[in-house]
This record gives sequence, structure tokens and C-alpha cells, in this order.
Amino acid sequence: MDKIFLAASTLCFFGGFLYAAYGLRSGRHHPSWANLAVIAAGFVFQSLTLHLRGQLHSRCPVTNGAEILVFLSWSTVLLYFVLGRGFRLSLLGMFTAPMVFVFQAIALVALATGDPGPKRLEGPADPWRELHIAVALLSFGAFALGAIAGVMYLVQDRQLKKHQLGPLFYNLPPIRSLIDAIVRLTAIGLALLTVGIGSAVMMTERPAAAHFGLAALVWAGYVAMLGLHAGKKIGPKRTAALAIGVFLLPLVMLAAG
Amino acid sequence: MSILCLGVNHKTAPVEIRERLAFPESEIDDRLREIRDLPGVDETVVLSTCNRVEIYAASPVTETAFEALIRYLIDHFRLPARDAVDFYHLKGEAAALHLFRVASGLDSMVLGETEIFGQVKKAYALAQEAGSTARRMNKLFQQSFQVGKLIRSNTRIQLGATSVGSVAVDLAEKIFGNLRNCRVMVIGAGEMSRQTAQSLVSRGASSLIVSNRSYDKAVELADELAGEAVRFDEWEQAMSGVDIVISSTSAPHAVIVPDMVAKVMRHRGDRALFLIDIAVPRDIEPAVNRIENVYLYDIDDLERIAEVARVEREKQISLCETIIEKHIEEKGIEALSPDRRPGDEGTGRAASPAGDPAPQS
Repeated sequence: MDKIFLAASTLCFFGGFLYAAYGLRSGRHHPSWANLAVIAAGFVFQSLTLHLRGQLHSRCPVTNGAEILVFLSWSTVLLYFVLGRGFRLSLLGMFTAPMVFVFQAIALVALATGDPGPKRLEGPADPWRELHIAVALLSFGAFALGAIAGVMYLVQDRQLKKHQLGPLFYNLPPIRSLIDAIVRLTAIGLALLTVGIGSAVMMTERPAAAHFGLAALVWAGYVAMLGLHAGKKIGPKRTAALAIGVFLLPLVMLAAG
Repeated sequence: MSILCLGVNHKTAPVEIRERLAFPESEIDDRLREIRDLPGVDETVVLSTCNRVEIYAASPVTETAFEALIRYLIDHFRLPARDAVDFYHLKGEAAALHLFRVASGLDSMVLGETEIFGQVKKAYALAQEAGSTARRMNKLFQQSFQVGKLIRSNTRIQLGATSVGSVAVDLAEKIFGNLRNCRVMVIGAGEMSRQTAQSLVSRGASSLIVSNRSYDKAVELADELAGEAVRFDEWEQAMSGVDIVISSTSAPHAVIVPDMVAKVMRHRGDRALFLIDIAVPRDIEPAVNRIENVYLYDIDDLERIAEVARVEREKQISLCETIIEKHIEEKGIEALSPDRRPGDEGTGRAASPAGDPAPQS
């Protein structure tokens, strides 16, 4: 059943992306509530998938790469609902949908072709471990949204520089709002990651040194990015590019397990 | 009972005639009552904008109504002769179709402009307040609002700006968002820079600095736009504090060069700089556009963007016409539908100016 929910969620995000892309391409006005409803449906199916996987393992469902991708997608969409709408970046949903679609399609194929099955913890559950995983993945969700806002910034900047104003130009938010969103999302992600790393220190069985090292690298990367931006050492375009570039580190970290 | 429209617009009458026929808003209440009391006129709405003056009416005898309306306009506006103005006379479905096209921006001087939709709404609201509307006009105007919304939602007729000033505003809003905190500097007080600055100020730009070789001219434009004049040898210092620069000097060489802009940008953080060069020969070196967070547009860029939008809008006309035809096929002209019962004759006051269906009394 969890795979059916995952497939339904993946289809929702694919549909949401197609709907928004069609609206943009045709230049016709499309009600944002319709796109929002599709993404919300995808989020409900994501939550049901994670709920069932959580029951299967009797813990936070991040026991394999596929589950990590689904959890990361879930946290990205959750943060989009909590923060993205607040930034009035309705198109963030459209840009989020393809990323979530790709992540979940990979996860779906992986689970359909070789589900590793239940992986229960030996010994008593460690709340610090559960907190570490959940908060760290939420922080990656914020970084993912920051990277998506970075893509939107670069697209809008390019259109403004090249004087090519297509339908996308009129639908993308002002670059001023986008750079604000990048900085705030990265700061939120960094705060969550700090809590995630702090909770890892408290775990009964600490993660491997390599895992700690990578997490510290991600943390340092984002601290450097925000520091350079705050100190006016880099402009908004480079900040946007860094939001995308540094996001590759958490992806590497997740891929490395 | 039918509906009719008598009027002139930018295509049929020059501005001298249109301004003579304009109905001041302060007097519209009395004028509506006078028109409604004319022979053959049961209900009326007057749409008076800078580009059109149109009287819509519901009438059981349209020829009598047309005659009375023309006589009224000749008398009221003291027109020299009956044939001094080339009024268009439309009745029945043609009158309704005309209003639908007007509300959709298809009959506007700037094709697809959306301001007319608000003007039609306002004209209807004023007529309601004056008590000059009832069932026919209520249905006609509410249906025109439906059609206007349908066109806006399903076509690209309003997409993109079609004048240099509005392109500049669109670009500024895509860079800064709300222009409320934007400061504008005008270098060279020519007509084009005045229009562009005015467009920005009308959309909320908070402060304006004007600099010109002739200081008196700078003061004149600054006074007109509620800005501040600075002497021509001081504009460079002032540039660091502004967000938008409109340059239109008559200098034979570039007055804004990359080094100057790079120096300004060093201390601005995320604050972008939008440079509008409407001078020929150009005032700003094109290489300035390569500086991060600086966006430079010259007059050709702005004209080209406006032209692309105009062409795009032209392409949308047939789609708009098809949508209107389909709407009429499906719903008919509601104002021309037969009366259901005598009690249907509700007063205009009951209907919402926002286009909600009028309650039937």
C-alpha cells in the first residue's frame, strides 16, 4: 500500500508541474489554488507513505536511500507550505514539483524493484537519533527550497540581463524577493542543521566520523555563504549560485548514507 | 425592449470633440437623471473616459431614443451642428457586443489595457447610485464584467507593457517588487524622461531627484513630480542613493561609465540598480550591463519590448473574439432576454458594482 501512495504522490507532483508549466507556456492565468491543491494532495500521499513505512520499521522511516529521498521530498514540500507561501513565491511550488517528482520517481523504482523490508532497531529507541534524523532532513528541505529559489533568481536575472521577457518573466517574483527568500531559507536550514548536529552529539551511538565530517562541511559551507553575503563580499547572483552549489553537499551526504 | 449605445471614441472623434463631450464625474448624477427622463429612454449608463464617451440605454423605441439622445447632446454640449460629430449608433446584440469588447480592452487605444474594465465598473456604479439602471442595464453590465474576466483569464491580451513608460515600470517591479521604497533619479529633463519618471512615481516610487544642465528646468520638473532638483555637477554623488536612473541628456558621449557604476555598486549589498537610457546618442556605456545586479535598458530595448507585447496582443484578438462569440452562443445576450414577469424590474441600487447578480425584486 505504501508504494501505491508513493506512486499517487509522485503522479500528483508530476501533474502539478505539468499544470503550472502549461499555464506558464500558454501565458494564461491559472488559479494558484488549483496547483496548490495538487501539491497538497501529493503531500498527503507522501505523509501516508511515510506513516506506513514508519509503522513497518517502528521508527523514523529513513532506513534506505529511497526512504531518505521521500523524507527529503516531504520536508521540502512541508517547508514550502510553511515558508514558501509566506514569501509570496507561489511559483516556488512549480519549481519544487519537478525536483520532488524526480526524487520520488527514483525512490519508487528502487522500492518497487527491491524493497529492503523492515529494518527495526536493536535495543531501545534513541530519541536523540530520531530528532537528529528528522531535523537534519528538515534542514535539507530548507536548503532544497533555497536552491530552488536560487534557480528562480538566476532565471529571472538572466532574462533581465538579456532583455528577453517571456511569459516566465511575468510570472516569476521580483529578484529582490527571491534573494530575500534564498537568505532566509538558508538561515532557517542552517539553524535546523545546527540542532541536527547538536542532537547527533547526544546520541547513544554516535554517527561515523565521515558522516560528522560531511555534516560539518555542509554546515561550514552554508555559514560561509551567509557570512560572505552579510559582509557584502558576494553579490546576490553569486549568493544564488552558492545556494544551488552548496546544496550538492547535502545530496552527496545523503547518497553516501 | 432593446438596448442601444450611442457614442464616440478615439477612432471616430478627435480629442477636441471627445473632451467637449466629456461628462464630469461631479455632474454625472444629474446628467444620468436627465438622460433617463428623455423620450424612449428607460435606463441608462454613461461611460465617459479620455478615449470614449458612450451612452448605453434600454429603450422600447430605439429610434426615438437615438433621436432624443443626439438632441440632448447637441443642446447640452452646445455642438455647432447635428453632423459635427460622427456618433456611432448600435442597438440590440451589436450594442451588447460593443460593450463586451470595450470591457475586455479590445476597443481601447492601447489594446488589452485593463484600466477600462475599472472605468466600465465605475460608470455602472455611478449609474446605480443615480438610480438610472434597472434590469436591462444591470444584466448588460454584469455580463460585460463576466466577459471581461473571461478574456483576462483565458488569453494573453493584457500581458506585457506596450509603452516605454509602462515597460520601465514593469521592469522596475520585476527587479524591486513594490516601488514604494524606490528612489528615482532623472538626468536630463526631457519629455520622455518626464513621462517615464511620472509612470514610476504613479506606481509608488517614493522619491525623485532631477538633475539637468539648466537648473531651472530641473526645478520645474522636480516641482511637477514632487521631487528634488540637484545641480548637474552633483548628480554623480546622488547616484549612490538611488535605485532607478533615467538618463536623457544631450551629451555627445557617455556620461555613465562602468567604473562609476562599479564604485556605486560596491556599497549597495543586494540593492540592484536599474538604469534606463533614453538618450540618443546613448548616455550609458553598454558594458555597464555586465556589472552584477545592474540592469541597463536603452530606448531601443524598451521600444522592442513594447513592440513585442503589442504584436502578442494583436495575435490574441481572434482568440478573444472567439471567446466572446462562444459566450454569447452559450448564454445569449442576457439583457435582451424577454421579461419573465412584471416584478423583475428591480432597481439598479440593489445590484453590486462588483458584478454580482442583481437581486430580482
